[in-house]
Amino acid sequence: MRSELRSFVLAKARGARPPQELTDQTPLLADGWLRSVHLPELLLLMERLRGTPIDVENLKAGDFRDIDTLMDRFGHAPAQHTAPAQHTAP
Amino acid sequence: MTAHLYWSPTGQSGLSGPLLEMVDDCDEAFRILASRWGAVEERHGAMLPAAELQRVDYLRSFPHQATFPVRLAPDEANLATFRDEPLNELGQVSLTSTSPVTEVLTPAACYHLYHAHQGQELDAPLYLTTKNTCFRTESRYEPLRRQSAFTMREIVCLGPPDTVAGFLALTRMHVGVLLDALGIPVEWRVATDPFFQPARSPGYLMQRVSPVKHEACYGTLAIASANLHHDHFGAVFGIEIGGQPAHSACVAFGIERWLWAIMQRHGEDPVNWPSAASAASAL
Repeated sequence: MRSELRSFVLAKARGARPPQELTDQTPLLADGWLRSVHLPELLLLMERLRGTPIDVENLKAGDFRDIDTLMDRFGHAPAQHTAPAQHTAP
Repeated sequence: MTAHLYWSPTGQSGLSGPLLEMVDDCDEAFRILASRWGAVEERHGAMLPAAELQRVDYLRSFPHQATFPVRLAPDEANLATFRDEPLNELGQVSLTSTSPVTEVLTPAACYHLYHAHQGQELDAPLYLTTKNTCFRTESRYEPLRRQSAFTMREIVCLGPPDTVAGFLALTRMHVGVLLDALGIPVEWRVATDPFFQPARSPGYLMQRVSPVKHEACYGTLAIASANLHHDHFGAVFGIEIGGQPAHSACVAFGIERWLWAIMQRHGEDPVNWPSAASAASAL
């Protein structure tokens, strides 16, 4: 799964950065390797790789920070999390 | 007090007397907060070109909230057919042929600003403020609390990342101090926008894993929000600073909700209402 995540990120970065700069601790969103438009596809990829769905309502801040975090968070059997979702925007 | 509130169950309110004075006073308070940044006031129309709004994927993200102005096709035969029976027995408009819909009624005041300033190369951070009537379709409506047409004041900063982050943090602090002075207790909460089919929405997923929206909640009601856009609007609308897409942030106020919060907190007798503008001036 780790290697496939790495391939996914490099494919989305489309040569904008040298591949050797991507480590398992590289901030994927903060450093611009991935943008928001890539996230649905990343979610589908992780669901396929681990064989179980991911409930987006359980996503938390920092879950997509880097490849290590993705592996810790989604690389294994799904854990139960609770994260209240609320929107009351003006 | 209800004598000064004219409520339509389709989700809009009219105000007069002390209620109108209070919302004007709140807006003056927000303008005072904006003036601390030297923000330039702009006034824009009620509609945005749909093609421009779609550059930030609005229609795909919020189709359930979008509201469109519809016009009859202008040919005389079509207008004559319409005139013959403009309403049905339920009071609904019996539309005949319509012109192509190319605009969206303003869903948030600040969209106009990015559209108006597109293509600009900034030589210094840009601070703007604007107020507009905003339109959003909701599943239910409540007077002052949740309306299909409501008034939004926004303060916006466009500039380098550090400047924008500083603006957002300090303005949010000012809002907190203002609310303290008005005796309105709020809790700032991480929030997401109400995206359509959120599991498939890039914007929603991004907001979940990288929170950029915080709301000042009086009970369950958000009366203000602080929103960090990173370089999203700068990149889409070609607004640059130092050769890079400008970052941006906005602080938004739902003005009718402030009125509701003040009446909830201080009662319906205007004699007991604090002045928001006086409180903002004293910050």
